[in-house]
Amino acid sequence: MGISAGEFLGFLNLTWQALVMLVIGGVLIWLGIAKKVEPVLLVPIGFGCVLANIPLGGVAEPGGFLAVLREAGIHTEIFPLLIFIGVGAMIDFEPFLQRPYTILLGAAAQFGIFGTFFLAYLLGDGWLQVLDFSLKDAASIGIIGSADGPTSIYVATVLQSKYAAAIVVAAYSYMAMVPIIQPPIIKAMCSKEERALKMPSVAGTISQRRKILFPIITVLVVGLLAPKATPLIGSLMFGNLLRECGVVERLFMAAQNELANIVTILLGITVGGMMSGTEFLRPETILVFILGIVAFSLDTVAGVLLGKLMYVLSGRKVNPMIGACGISAFPMSSRVVQKLGLEANPHNHLLMHAAGANTAGQIASVVAGGVMLMLVPIFS
Amino acid sequence: MLNALWIALLGMAIIFAVLGILLLVMVFLGRVVKPKDNQEKKDR
Repeated sequence: MGISAGEFLGFLNLTWQALVMLVIGGVLIWLGIAKKVEPVLLVPIGFGCVLANIPLGGVAEPGGFLAVLREAGIHTEIFPLLIFIGVGAMIDFEPFLQRPYTILLGAAAQFGIFGTFFLAYLLGDGWLQVLDFSLKDAASIGIIGSADGPTSIYVATVLQSKYAAAIVVAAYSYMAMVPIIQPPIIKAMCSKEERALKMPSVAGTISQRRKILFPIITVLVVGLLAPKATPLIGSLMFGNLLRECGVVERLFMAAQNELANIVTILLGITVGGMMSGTEFLRPETILVFILGIVAFSLDTVAGVLLGKLMYVLSGRKVNPMIGACGISAFPMSSRVVQKLGLEANPHNHLLMHAAGANTAGQIASVVAGGVMLMLVPIFS
Repeated sequence: MLNALWIALLGMAIIFAVLGILLLVMVFLGRVVKPKDNQEKKDR
């Protein structure tokens, strides 16, 4: 017959890279199921990783179903945009609309993106050249600091980064690790007295008319000033308009449930399919993960610093900790600040203030992604 | 390296500018829309 066993038995073709990736896929599934770390994402990502690294399976090779999904959903940038419609439908921006000044905390907390981008470029083609990081790769790595999975995928894909898979996995993993990353930084930067500071509650609610106008006006302002952010902010705000307009209940429910769930499944398993051993296992991947932590930390530091400035300028009416929520990891970051506030003062409920900064951070991270996409081609 | 520095500095400046303008618009919107809401309440 002239056929050897190696041509049809997968385990005879198992390389060490594939073996390591199978273990990594297993760990991601374990983290999702046993440790409840972002299970909605890590379970599909882990399973996609396992599928992609089964020798001779061919699911991630040209023509394989994960390759087809990658081509159709990631390379076209459709998946992250569809996810954003769902995210927009899920988010209630009322805490932000009650405290619009928190948008400045969102802006400050994007510093991690640009600080990390600069650092990555210095390590790569910019100066030291110890790693294979081009300007576009560095920008894609920096965008981990957006603390926003869809934005990270979108920017890394548009910039055609070699490290897209590692960037996406890092972004989602660190979002889940916000309760571990942020508290030590916040505690180091804010005294107990500052953490214990109660903030006055905001009187009144936001009218429905204002809630309806908000997504439309935000798209116009951001789109006209930073047009590259239009797909991201447009999807996010479209989802939010469905939520707030009150006349398309079915579409709103579909956006936040069916659409978000289906695309999350497809996106997760496709990202997992991008984690083939030969592409994923290189020294740069480890650096991408280290730089991801740097990005999240810098975000937190910059947000708290502006929070401290507001604390001083407002005559001690703003708790500086809410600056840490300018990071877009919603709602984990708000919960962290609420918990730290209660630890310092059992009567200190900061959740709504923190949620205001957190939802503002969602908008700011999208703008940051658009700004990166605007500037990188100009300076390349 | 200088181009990366420019991207970082300009990037942060543009973000603050865009979001600062959005903040002003939101504050303006809050002032414009509020009186009508109060009127609605009175009508009810």
